[in-house]
Amino acid sequence: MSLLDELHEAVVTGDDELTAELTRQGIDDGYEPQALIDDAMIPAMAEAGRRFEAEEYFVPELLVAGRAIQAGLEMLRPLLAPGTSRTAGRVVIGTVEGDLHDIGKNLVAVMFEGAGFDVVDLGTDVAPAEVVAAVAEHHPDLVALSALLTTTMLAMPATIDAIEAAGLRDQVTVLVGGAPLNQARAEEFGADGYADNANAAVRLALELVAPR
Amino acid sequence: MSEQVDEATATARDRVLTALDHREPDRIPVDFGGTPVTGIHVSVVAALRDHYGLESRLVKVHEPYQMLGTIDEDLAEALGVDVQGVTGRETMFGFRNDAWKPWTMPHGLEVLMSADFAATVDERGDTLVYPKGNRSAPPSGRMPKTGFFFDTIVRQEPIDEDRLDPADNLEEYSLVTDADLDDLDHDLAAAEATGRAVIGVLPGMALGDIAFVPAPGLEHPRGIRDITEWYISLKKRPEYVRRVFSAQVDVALENLERIHQRVADRFDAVMICGTDFGTQTSAFCSVETFEDLWSPHYTRINDWIHDHTTWKTFKHSCGSVERFMRSFIDCGFDIINPVQCSAADMAAEHLKREYGRDLVFWGGGVDTQHTLPFGTPAEVREEVLNRCEVFGAGGGFVFNTIHNIQANTPVENVVAMLDAVRDFAGPR
Repeated sequence: MSLLDELHEAVVTGDDELTAELTRQGIDDGYEPQALIDDAMIPAMAEAGRRFEAEEYFVPELLVAGRAIQAGLEMLRPLLAPGTSRTAGRVVIGTVEGDLHDIGKNLVAVMFEGAGFDVVDLGTDVAPAEVVAAVAEHHPDLVALSALLTTTMLAMPATIDAIEAAGLRDQVTVLVGGAPLNQARAEEFGADGYADNANAAVRLALELVAPR
Repeated sequence: MSEQVDEATATARDRVLTALDHREPDRIPVDFGGTPVTGIHVSVVAALRDHYGLESRLVKVHEPYQMLGTIDEDLAEALGVDVQGVTGRETMFGFRNDAWKPWTMPHGLEVLMSADFAATVDERGDTLVYPKGNRSAPPSGRMPKTGFFFDTIVRQEPIDEDRLDPADNLEEYSLVTDADLDDLDHDLAAAEATGRAVIGVLPGMALGDIAFVPAPGLEHPRGIRDITEWYISLKKRPEYVRRVFSAQVDVALENLERIHQRVADRFDAVMICGTDFGTQTSAFCSVETFEDLWSPHYTRINDWIHDHTTWKTFKHSCGSVERFMRSFIDCGFDIINPVQCSAADMAAEHLKREYGRDLVFWGGGVDTQHTLPFGTPAEVREEVLNRCEVFGAGGGFVFNTIHNIQANTPVENVVAMLDAVRDFAGPR
């Protein structure tokens, strides 16, 4: 098995120590850092996401795969020449105001990162004004909003309205997700897209956003 | 309705026992407030008291994490509930519900909280609550300034893999004392006096419930307390998880013995565990992981109870858990809640047909994510009548919403739901 294949396998199976070791070996063997990312890690995370959506993987398996790819990316990022790295796009992500739940949001963030997006994670209980400020500062392609509670999902249209009021709505694609959401409700809230799981969210984002 | 109980003589308790015995009672029994997963948000309890014209009083919050309001006897009668809970006096945040004091929630409703509830407001306007009411400890819960519920604040010390000790994740599990048993005896007697069926919420038996993993009742928790880290542990540190569960159940079984010695068969049902295995569309873990990490321990608890008592055992798990139903049955659970029919593969007809002989459905009455908070009273009525028809056939159904009734639920929808249960008179 080639080093790239071994690295792929280490990420898919969530072995963070082996991922770090193989990444180090890849660097020492002269692999381009971007090649390790593009040819092993991103496809590996896509495979983990596929297995998650196919219900071969569940939350623990996806989290350990995310931790493994993190271990590799942390070593490679400092080696990427400024301005030369390719990204799939930039996403600002957060759980909406009044809601402190972040398991779903974190899984989506892991999958975005694993698909090569720059991820700006605003955390939980994010007020509409904070989302607007992040859009103005980071110029993302996407804003991804999460809610678990029926009482808090109504902060989603409020957040989308605030982006609109700030004159930034046409610059970003807004995705929403979370337990009480569905396609109809996403449309009612004025979102551009809805996904019911982390892998589908990234697939939708890749369809909606052109790579940078 | 061949084995129907005589309508004129059926008491609330008879009605529940008949349903738990998989026979059709005179009417569908109803639970609201029996457990921390079948309750009503304090704001809706207050609204219902107003609606029914009951004495004006501040509502007690008996469960501060989800802000569940106490359903006093006058409201219980108005709602027509058939179940009385004995939920224990210690709250999730480690203080007890012995005395009460007024507190105004962020959205303005004045309620009664435990006299030991200690809270501060931070610079964001969020309310922070302190474990055991101790403000010198780091806060363990937060209610956002626009929120209606608390959620746990994770307090995770750096994890040193070489020094991880399962005992650190067991600090909150201890043997019940004679004083605890005296309280239990007293509360149980009060519950029995209502004539309703009694469900006990047993302490310390929830295995890996992520509401409890962060140990919101401890001042300085040790071990694995971060929720993501806990899920990772299922994959990375399964032996650690096994040892935590095993030792926890050792304590639980000793407590079961002590509790049973004191109360004998006065409980009709007991809530064991609220660990969620389902998400909206899938599961938190595989069935294999469940069988490996949870099944042996659930089986020990259920076996002890069924070998020594007449209590029926109640398992709560949100989400899409159809794939786990056979495992729940094999572990010895008698009752499943909240029966989230809106989740994947959880259609009422399918669940009743496949598992209705073995499991009592305690919940599933109406969707609290869509229909109850956002539907019309007519839509609520239609869904409730349908669920009563499907789940009620042949008994084995205790009516409750799918999980607690949430804040901001219109009271007219709650009333439409209750009227529909009352009006249900068999298959249409």
